[in-house]
Amino acid sequence: MRWLRWGGLAVGLVVAWALPRVLYPPVALDILCWALFAVSVDLLLGYLGLLSFGHAAFWGTSAYTAGLLAARAGAPFPLAALAGALAAALLALPIGYLAVRRTGIYFAMVTLAFAQMVYFVANQWRSLTGGENGVQDVPRELFGMDLSDPYYFYYWMLPLVLLGLFAAWRVVHSPFGRVLVAIRDNPVRARALGYPVHRYKILAFVLSAFLAGLGGGLFALSHQFVTLDDLHWTTSGQAVVVVVMGGIGTLWGGVLAAALVVRLEDVLSLAHFEQVGLITGGIFVVVVLLFRQGIWGTAAAASRRLAARIARRRPG
Amino acid sequence: MINFLEQTVNGLVNGGFYALLALGLAVIFGMLRVVNFAHGAFYMLGAFGAYVGLREFGLPFWVALVLVPVVLAGLGMALERTAINRLARLDPLYNFLFTFGLTLILQDLVKWRYGVNANPYEIPAGLTGTVHIGQFGFPAYRLFVFGFAVAACLLAWWLLARTRVGMVVRAATERPELTGALGIDVGRWITPVFGFGIALAALAGVLAAPIQAVNPLMGADLIIVVFAVVVIGGLGSVTGSVATGFGIGVAGAWAQAYAPPIVAQTLVFAVMAVVLLVRPAGLFGREEGVA
Amino acid sequence: MRVRRVLSGTVAAGTVLTLLAACGGGGPRGGGGSSLSGGKIVLGVLNDQSGVYSGLGGKNSVVAVQMAIDDFLAKHGDKAVTRDISVVTADHQNKPDLAKTDAQQMYDRQDVDAILDVPTSSAALAVADVAKQDKKLYFNIGAASDDLNGKSCNKYTFHYAYDTNMLANVTGKTATKNGAKSWYLIYPNYAFGQDMLRGFTSAIGAAGGAVVASAGSPFPNPTQDYSTLLLKTSGLSPKPDTLGVMQAGGDLQNVVKQYNQFKLKDQGVKLAVGLMFITDIHALGPDALAGTTFTDAWYWNANQDNRAFADKFYAKTKTRPTFDHAADYSAALQYLEAVQAAGTDDSDKVVAKLEGKTVNDVFLHNGTIRAADHLVTHDAYLAQVKPSSQVTEPWDYEKILETIPADQAFNPPSSDCHM
Repeated sequence: MRWLRWGGLAVGLVVAWALPRVLYPPVALDILCWALFAVSVDLLLGYLGLLSFGHAAFWGTSAYTAGLLAARAGAPFPLAALAGALAAALLALPIGYLAVRRTGIYFAMVTLAFAQMVYFVANQWRSLTGGENGVQDVPRELFGMDLSDPYYFYYWMLPLVLLGLFAAWRVVHSPFGRVLVAIRDNPVRARALGYPVHRYKILAFVLSAFLAGLGGGLFALSHQFVTLDDLHWTTSGQAVVVVVMGGIGTLWGGVLAAALVVRLEDVLSLAHFEQVGLITGGIFVVVVLLFRQGIWGTAAAASRRLAARIARRRPG
Repeated sequence: MINFLEQTVNGLVNGGFYALLALGLAVIFGMLRVVNFAHGAFYMLGAFGAYVGLREFGLPFWVALVLVPVVLAGLGMALERTAINRLARLDPLYNFLFTFGLTLILQDLVKWRYGVNANPYEIPAGLTGTVHIGQFGFPAYRLFVFGFAVAACLLAWWLLARTRVGMVVRAATERPELTGALGIDVGRWITPVFGFGIALAALAGVLAAPIQAVNPLMGADLIIVVFAVVVIGGLGSVTGSVATGFGIGVAGAWAQAYAPPIVAQTLVFAVMAVVLLVRPAGLFGREEGVA
Repeated sequence: MRVRRVLSGTVAAGTVLTLLAACGGGGPRGGGGSSLSGGKIVLGVLNDQSGVYSGLGGKNSVVAVQMAIDDFLAKHGDKAVTRDISVVTADHQNKPDLAKTDAQQMYDRQDVDAILDVPTSSAALAVADVAKQDKKLYFNIGAASDDLNGKSCNKYTFHYAYDTNMLANVTGKTATKNGAKSWYLIYPNYAFGQDMLRGFTSAIGAAGGAVVASAGSPFPNPTQDYSTLLLKTSGLSPKPDTLGVMQAGGDLQNVVKQYNQFKLKDQGVKLAVGLMFITDIHALGPDALAGTTFTDAWYWNANQDNRAFADKFYAKTKTRPTFDHAADYSAALQYLEAVQAAGTDDSDKVVAKLEGKTVNDVFLHNGTIRAADHLVTHDAYLAQVKPSSQVTEPWDYEKILETIPADQAFNPPSSDCHM
């Protein structure tokens, strides 16, 4: 199966390279950012079993940090994005510390509530965030180069995004990742085996926040401004929708679904259809009811069935 | 002093809405282990039900107050039978997600048909006046809402504490397998209880129509506050949810009146943070979902 | 199982189709600046078509712009710089993100030469940024923020119909001069509301009144409950004689409802509204607001010229125009006339034709397109809502109390504006 993995990687890279050539470049930029966001949420949901419904707090905090650093201090964009991710990770410490004291649905509700709190604070802290006006005129700096064309900026941004995705993959396929799965499946046993469960959870939460922050920071730089929408619970909700649609625990399903949802919104807006929630909500509900493995999971299962059928037909 | 009293009563009125919604959430959770994200959407549908009932069918407020919760309870029960039941065997997360998706759909459907603008709904005749007790004056309708909310909560308490259904619900909440093992058919009560919870949300919606903006997003931000309320009160505890609802309503009113705006907006979440630190199960809750 | 297979197949096909649908628009951005791009002019109407401000502008703004195009072509006939003039539109849903993307798409993918409307301050400022970068024209009509002609001003952006200072100057100053001496201001606690608070406080002070207290309401406001703020009124000392409300749209409608429920008018507290549209009066019904004074940039029934425009508009839309529609018409027409005068749609040349121009048309009375900050000043109106007993036909809600001359309505150019 090794060749499948490498083949998949090759296909992914080709698509990533081709994206801004076939799609309107700003849409391609959005896809990259949302891919990171989806993967960050899936890290918690798929591998730790924790549904964070307030991840926009990290996406948005990083966006504001990156945006402000670029706008006020002229920071080069990779630095701004990483600083934003760091800010998100720092925010995740107290929130994570409090949130992991509950599990399951409670965890979801608590993260949702804290994210709402962050939203209100940002709204009030008008001198920093600009309130409803947001942070406008976020420049893209890199040693004085002209990055104003989104098409070229995409290729500058791509390495950072690929790095983030790789980091997520690495975390999942590591001893740490396996402990997370163990905690998800049987926390009592994990604790009995001596693992400090709370600490693992908090660490995973912080890592996930860092990734979401990377996505958010790059989002701020690609849109060149930051608004309160980036902290709103509907943004958190959309990340969850994307992950579930893609397939919980598949990582790449989230990437695919992110592309799908971003593209869908673009298509709908070109067609002047306003009720986007109807479509995404509808698909989402169908997935939850009938296709819980998500797009990736269903495709993987289908290809497994196909492979099995071929194997059965082969003589001997 | 009078002003303080007025603010407090006002807080109790707001708290009434929180309490009704938290109560419905708690009851549904107790019985089905489902956290109904769509609770806010049903609240919104309740308000729209009153509005549409008046506009299209000429239904007066008092009729809507009874009819709309019944109709929406029916809708809720149908949903429970078809979809929520299917997901019940799985991780409760799925039902949470399903109800979230449902919220998106319901909101956009209403938005499609009625737009996002607020729709006017008048206070029913007979309650438009002001109640005066000495210097204390307060709109009659709001007092009515408070009274009604209290009555509804008392009714729910009575149902839970003094009836057979209530006994079953309480038993199923605390010891689901044991209750089943004792031969009690918990299953037949699931759907009606879900309907009851939805009816409470719809009722809150109808009550809200004359005093709040009837628009498709009216439940959206509200439900998050209600989530915080039930985390504080303890989701498994009906008393806790109701008490916290009223409490947060009053505290919020005081904060808005006497403190800078940021306090009023974030109060409920800050309290939630403290409760999580000190008593993770909630003020009145049992050790459930504690890591 | 069969069903599931079919469904999976459909989903897969749908996925692929969506990803491929309308592919295109890829590749690096073309060179900026344009000659009479393709021998045509494209106008873009970007506004809210589904949300709080959809009644203010909405889809009917496109009708208004089309009316301007038709009138322009009728006037110039074959001498028009081109006869290929069209309108495209998009709904930004009051989201600055979407507004920015839509504006970029309009300029890049749809060859739009000028964007009009754009309510909601945050969206408006985002579009100003795009206009500056793409060097294409932008007439903001729907948003209030004075930042558009202040620190965010730029060469290609014109702030056409009103700004927060105008609202403060007309309502605040005039109402104070007419007897409102002590004010209690409530405002939505976000940028727009805070701007209004600032503007009104200084305008009231300048007119000899005083702001007794001010209080912010949460924004967004999940419970839409203003009772706490309103109840505060009776506890204030000195007791204010006027409640100044800065909330807009749906928020405003609720404040007014509750103002009436708490019988504040009977307690001697009059109502003054910072920003109100005729659509708000329509939504609440005139009796809910009867007697309220507010600033209007334009009223359809104020005189015969306005009425003539409103009748033509009514014939197409079955509703009366708001100031936004009239301003859309005016801005579109002014743009087209400027292109006609310049002989090209090159942005810089058109801007040169617009700057400093004085205009008198159906929307602008004593209008000037200021060169210093691209704010369009004009006479404004202090209006009062009629009770339903005086309403003679649908939408006949306003009584114009006073006309405020342009130089009193608008502030001089801000020092924050550097073009």
